[in-house]
Amino acid sequence: MSKPVRIVMVEDDLGHAKLIEKNIRRANISNEIVHFDHGQPALDYLFSEEVRANGPMLILLDLNLPDMQGTDILAEVKRDERLKRVPVVVLTTTDDKTEIQRCYDLGCNVYITKPVDYESFAGAIRQLGLFLSVMQAPEIE
Amino acid sequence: MSSNFPKTLSRFGRFLSEGTLGRSIFLLLAAAIALLLLVNLSTFILIQRTAAFNEQVDTTWQLRRAARTVLLNIKDAETAQRGYLLTGQTSFLRTYDQSAEAAPLLLDRLTELAGDDDVGQASLESLTRLSRDKFLEMSSITDLSRRGQTAQALDRVRSGRGKALMGQMDTEISTLDSQLGARLSAQQASSEGSAVFTIIVNALAGVLILVLGAIVAILIRRYLMDLASARADLDRVNAGLEDTIKARTAALTRANEEVQRFAYIVSHDLRSPLVNVMGYTAELEQAGRTIDLQLTKVETVAPDLIEKDAIVAAREDMPEAIGFIRASTEKMDRLINAILKLSRDGRRGLVAKTIDVGDMARAAADSMRHQLEETGTEVVIGEMVTFESDRLAIEQIIGNLIENAAKYSHASRPNRIEVSGRDLAGGWVEIAIADHGRGIAPKDHERIFELFRRSGRQDRPGEGLGLAFVRNSVRRLGGSIDVESALGEGSTFRMKFPKRLILDEAGDTQ
Repeated sequence: MSKPVRIVMVEDDLGHAKLIEKNIRRANISNEIVHFDHGQPALDYLFSEEVRANGPMLILLDLNLPDMQGTDILAEVKRDERLKRVPVVVLTTTDDKTEIQRCYDLGCNVYITKPVDYESFAGAIRQLGLFLSVMQAPEIE
Repeated sequence: MSSNFPKTLSRFGRFLSEGTLGRSIFLLLAAAIALLLLVNLSTFILIQRTAAFNEQVDTTWQLRRAARTVLLNIKDAETAQRGYLLTGQTSFLRTYDQSAEAAPLLLDRLTELAGDDDVGQASLESLTRLSRDKFLEMSSITDLSRRGQTAQALDRVRSGRGKALMGQMDTEISTLDSQLGARLSAQQASSEGSAVFTIIVNALAGVLILVLGAIVAILIRRYLMDLASARADLDRVNAGLEDTIKARTAALTRANEEVQRFAYIVSHDLRSPLVNVMGYTAELEQAGRTIDLQLTKVETVAPDLIEKDAIVAAREDMPEAIGFIRASTEKMDRLINAILKLSRDGRRGLVAKTIDVGDMARAAADSMRHQLEETGTEVVIGEMVTFESDRLAIEQIIGNLIENAAKYSHASRPNRIEVSGRDLAGGWVEIAIADHGRGIAPKDHERIFELFRRSGRQDRPGEGLGLAFVRNSVRRLGGSIDVESALGEGSTFRMKFPKRLILDEAGDTQ
């Protein structure tokens, strides 16, 4: 049995982070969730030897961060030899067409717009949780 | 013509009194023409004078010749008389008689020529006297000779009286000659003087005309240079104006883009906290329900434990507060979405295609058939036009306006919506949508186009977005929109669009 997938969540809004975590847990996902509210600490963590070397993971990424654009993190991750296969789910409020295109161009795997309506929001996150429970993340080699 | 003349005259007077270039040139040219007239006049006078002078010369010469003819005739008579005295041949007498007969005639001729000439008159008297005396002397000698008294006749000749008379005559003729000659040369001098005067006048006038011409040329040249420099200035100003317009347009476009971007960012960033508000409201509601369940449970087991306030708080206050929060956040969400839609719409690329407004209005009415039937609204398509514009935008505009017209009907009469279009001068089309609905008070005519603003009785659902969106779209298509309406009397929305929408490469109105 492979190691459980670690979820790295980069989200500057603590409220959003909590709601996301709550709804993922409601979908019976018990994987470890590591939360960062700034871009730089998230990058430092992702590129630390310990993380690069250990186990599969999935990145939940918000685009509007206080210190950088989420797309910068996306580009860094996809440029890295070891991290480039890590699935990245962009979860943000923006539904701007060019922004979505840009994220897929940079190699994001899924782009999800946060619905403002909470029912839809909770539903979307729960479905994401279900999705996470069945998906396979590649091993980091 | 007659009524025009005083006007022309006064205009001419004004023209002369104003110190313009035109006046200067006019006056200079007038002076030049006056000088030319002067030259003509002086030349004319000179010609007249010369003609008179020539006539006088001619008369004088004739007078001189006539005087000499008189003298020659007497001399002929004398010669013939002498011949007769010498030879006694009568043929000499015949010549003498002829001369004697001619003498009075020649004198008459001389008299005629002399006219009222002072000099001629004076000479004529003495000449006539001398001629008569000479002929008397000669005829007395000839008579003596005819009677054979030749010796007495020769004595008379020898007395020298005849010679003396001839001498006097010669002198008289020479005097006349010299007097006439003197007068002739005096006349010639005066004639030459007037010629010189005329030449001087001509030369002066010529020089003046040249000077005037030069001044006019300088004035015109200066005027033309002024004109050229004014045109250059104008060109410069025009070029500057074009640059200014370009710069302003660029600045406006930038400002517009910034506003749209700003609206987008603001509305987008506003949504983020809203997710939290709504999310945690739902969580709170969930928690409230959990507490309520717990309360119900406690109520059945141990009713005494429960405070009445706690039940009110859990079952009434909390759900009410949550309901208000939810309603407000939902409204805020709709408003933010509206701003997002507007700003996004402003960023959509336009595509110009030929549009039949009639077809479009019919399609819009069909899609609203249910709503129209419910409110008893009739849609009439009147006279129509086709024009080139963005199909989607026009569709939304017309759909919005028809929907509004159907929505705000009058309570006590059936509604009727009339859509019509026509071509306007200058490459424009007008589309009008008129209804028989409740109408809009004049004070609200501007307000209804503003975002989130509505007017009249608020008995229909809506956020105050439709007309703001319509005006935004119309302006983006290079058009304008106005409303004509009075409260209770229906409304007419009139839009003006360019017949052909010209777009730049980015699909934006130029």
